[in-house]
Amino acid sequence: MLHNPDIAVGAPTRITVMQGQAYVGTGSHEILTTVLGSCIACCMYDPTARVGGMNHFLLAEPSPNSGTVADQNYGIYLMELLINQMMTRGGVKSRMKAHLYGGANMHSGMARIGDANARFARNFLMEEKIPVLRIDVGGEAARRVDFDPVMGRTRCRTVEPVAAPVPKPVVTPQSGGGELELF
Amino acid sequence: MSENIRVLTVDDSASMRALLRAALTSRGYNVSQAEDGVAALEWLTDNGSDIDVIVTDINMPRMDGFGLIEALREQSRFRDCPILVLSTESSDEKKSRARSAGATGWIVKPFDAEKLDTALRRVTH
Repeated sequence: MLHNPDIAVGAPTRITVMQGQAYVGTGSHEILTTVLGSCIACCMYDPTARVGGMNHFLLAEPSPNSGTVADQNYGIYLMELLINQMMTRGGVKSRMKAHLYGGANMHSGMARIGDANARFARNFLMEEKIPVLRIDVGGEAARRVDFDPVMGRTRCRTVEPVAAPVPKPVVTPQSGGGELELF
Repeated sequence: MSENIRVLTVDDSASMRALLRAALTSRGYNVSQAEDGVAALEWLTDNGSDIDVIVTDINMPRMDGFGLIEALREQSRFRDCPILVLSTESSDEKKSRARSAGATGWIVKPFDAEKLDTALRRVTH
């Protein structure tokens, strides 16, 4: 029997997208979920291919006195990872639309890293010409995001700050490292 | 010295192109850029006779990195030009395909500017 995503029956499989991950729906009945503090989650969707995915990232803060902005390399990597995984499942970049969530500044008096993350994500999507349909970023509240990658529907709720995971230090993905592999 | 190294970077992401340009020009490279394989071939046809190294993404619209490498290796003037793949992909299957197409090497994103500099010097000397 063919799978019809409009007539999903039973409870969906809940997939938790952790910091540093990108996950694209398999086409089965799934809900992608995450809890955000200062991190950003981008939910991307191609309505024609009905392919969607979510990433969850935090940019590294610049070192003191470096004079540089937050490390955008890692953020670009995780956005590109999400887009590429969607393309392998039939998504087309020019059709993709985005929702952005998170980027809270959880601790007053500390660096507003949430703002830096949100600013990066908005700039990235603008440069890549990917329209942002919904954006809920900033403030001081943690958020829970649920995303249906087949229908492209999101739900974002504020939650108690204790629900937000403590952000992990940003590390280079183990599969990469930028090392040259000569053929 | 990297001042004399002419590099063409090929990537459909405007953000990645900007990041690569900043990383390479600050180290003295002469950087040209294209947004996909078709644009790269067009640019190389008109300007590419003195290019030293090509750095290309894999997943791109119109013509992907594999297609670009195959097309370049069919042209005698690019047969020996180093071509590095810079991609989020890291599977053995994709690397094997790039090797068969004629790529010189593979770097997995996110790139480290110092390591990229070292890699470019290594394949151009």
